[in-house]
Amino acid sequence: MSEAKDPRKVFGEALVEVGEKNPDVLAISADSSSGSGLSPFKEKFPSRHLEFGIMEQGIIGFASGLATTGKIPFVVAIAPFVTARPFEMFRNDLGYMRQNVKVVGRCAGLTYSTLGPTHQSLEDVAIIRTIPGVVVINPGDPVDIKKATHALAAHKGPAYMKIGSPKMPVLNKEDYDYEIGKGVVLKEGNDVTIIGTGTVLSKAYFASELLEKEGIHARLINLHTLKPIDRTLIIKAARETGRIVTVEEHYLHGGLGGAVAEVLALEHPCPMRMIGVDDQFASNGPYEELLGIYGLQPEQIAETVKKFVT
Amino acid sequence: MESLTNMEEIELKKIAFKIRKNVVRMIKAGDAGHVGGALSIAEMLAALYFKIMKVDPNNPAWRERDRLVLSAGHKCLALYAVLADRGFFDEKILDTYGALGSKLPGHPDMYKLPGLESNTGALGHGLSIAGGMALGLKMDGVDSKVYVIMGDGELAEGSNWEAAAAASHHKLDNLLVFVDRNTLQISGRTVEVMSYEPLDKRWESFGWRVREINGHDLKQIMEAATSVPFEKGKPSVIIANTVKSKGLSFAEDRADYHYWKATPEELQIAERELEDIERGLKQ
Repeated sequence: MSEAKDPRKVFGEALVEVGEKNPDVLAISADSSSGSGLSPFKEKFPSRHLEFGIMEQGIIGFASGLATTGKIPFVVAIAPFVTARPFEMFRNDLGYMRQNVKVVGRCAGLTYSTLGPTHQSLEDVAIIRTIPGVVVINPGDPVDIKKATHALAAHKGPAYMKIGSPKMPVLNKEDYDYEIGKGVVLKEGNDVTIIGTGTVLSKAYFASELLEKEGIHARLINLHTLKPIDRTLIIKAARETGRIVTVEEHYLHGGLGGAVAEVLALEHPCPMRMIGVDDQFASNGPYEELLGIYGLQPEQIAETVKKFVT
Repeated sequence: MESLTNMEEIELKKIAFKIRKNVVRMIKAGDAGHVGGALSIAEMLAALYFKIMKVDPNNPAWRERDRLVLSAGHKCLALYAVLADRGFFDEKILDTYGALGSKLPGHPDMYKLPGLESNTGALGHGLSIAGGMALGLKMDGVDSKVYVIMGDGELAEGSNWEAAAAASHHKLDNLLVFVDRNTLQISGRTVEVMSYEPLDKRWESFGWRVREINGHDLKQIMEAATSVPFEKGKPSVIIANTVKSKGLSFAEDRADYHYWKATPEELQIAERELEDIERGLKQ
């Protein structure tokens, strides 16, 4: 496994690449340009980096209007401030107006662990995936982030991508075929399926290695796209392994677990466990310790899976 | 600045009249609708679509066109009427207002009819969207203007002031806002419900240049709107003083006609009054 990488840096570099390919790509900042990884883009394309200050409702509308003229704005800011706060702008100006705008929520999930619930984003997937036609991406490693940025620039339509801030280990092969809406089997196995997404995919990965040592062969799926969801892959896993465990840095309702349960309840009911944050405003403290409160460390995930299968 | 001749003014008056007539026609078809704010902007729309704006009904997506964002989306009956009259779609569609799946929802949907530039209805969205359009056009060196119609009650939405600041910061002098100051919103007088007066000073303090006109006076609309930008490098706003439900005597300047559930008796009176106006215009 190669060195862990800073997700915002990876995103910022990928955005420069898509900016080089397509002169319509813009970066839109709400007073958080460097923290959002936009500095290289700003340096390379100063006239295509638009600063709006702390104005998260306004920037969604401006991005929508810019998109009507053929621009491809990437709006990047702290996750709750571009999802929960301007939800109606996202719904109407991007979703209902079907505009080609990419919203990137950074430092999502529990990233801002010490800053508390105002800055944490545990409901973004739940609310944004209710908007018809909006793609929701939660990349699981640096390879995903880079590929997703390219894929989103090429995809025509509104999208939301969330990224964290702690360094992420590389889990995917650099040359794998990334496709929006297609999950990836990272590890084969038939005893149980673990579906992970985003920042905690690596925790699920390490959990699967611990399980392997104990003779439990878990299939591991990287579900980097939460909408449209890969029904085929989920149903196949349920059919072949009989049990599904979801792992996410998000509320249990409305996120990955909820989305997978929606598919399975209707198409292939199957026992499930969901690991994530239950119905509460999360605590504050060091990031890794916070993940531990919600059972998201590899040993805890492995333990939950073990109890489930035995 | 451009002016209207007397003949041109009479032509536009006829168009404004036709807008009013078609607004009542739609409300008759659908039994109810947002009448007050639609009738207060009839002259503005007549002047914009028949004299001021660069538009081509045969090529609604023409890149160099001027754009209009109806931020106060509930005024859309007037917009539907003027677009039909300008030839963007068949006037017969107006009779489907209120029907299941009609192309004329109570707030506009740009994917249902040509000529509509945005989906508005929730207040406080249009100015940001229009600002983005104006910025995109400027970045590409396209010499087009973006017009916005807002309600005075709508100005209480804080998102408008985010957009007002950003439009000024980004020097969007290709942007012109009409504030339809009919002084009423659902609950009563705007100054009593939530006052944003003095409006001119507020806009000025956000870096805009302001003019105030009688929003039913076509010559004043023409002269102000064709003087944009009022100052190079700054966005412009016209505060248009109007009368809510203008043209229907029983409904004029009344908050309870913001949304009109039309009775057959009222519709009869409305149609009779409109016939009187039509007769006057023909003379």
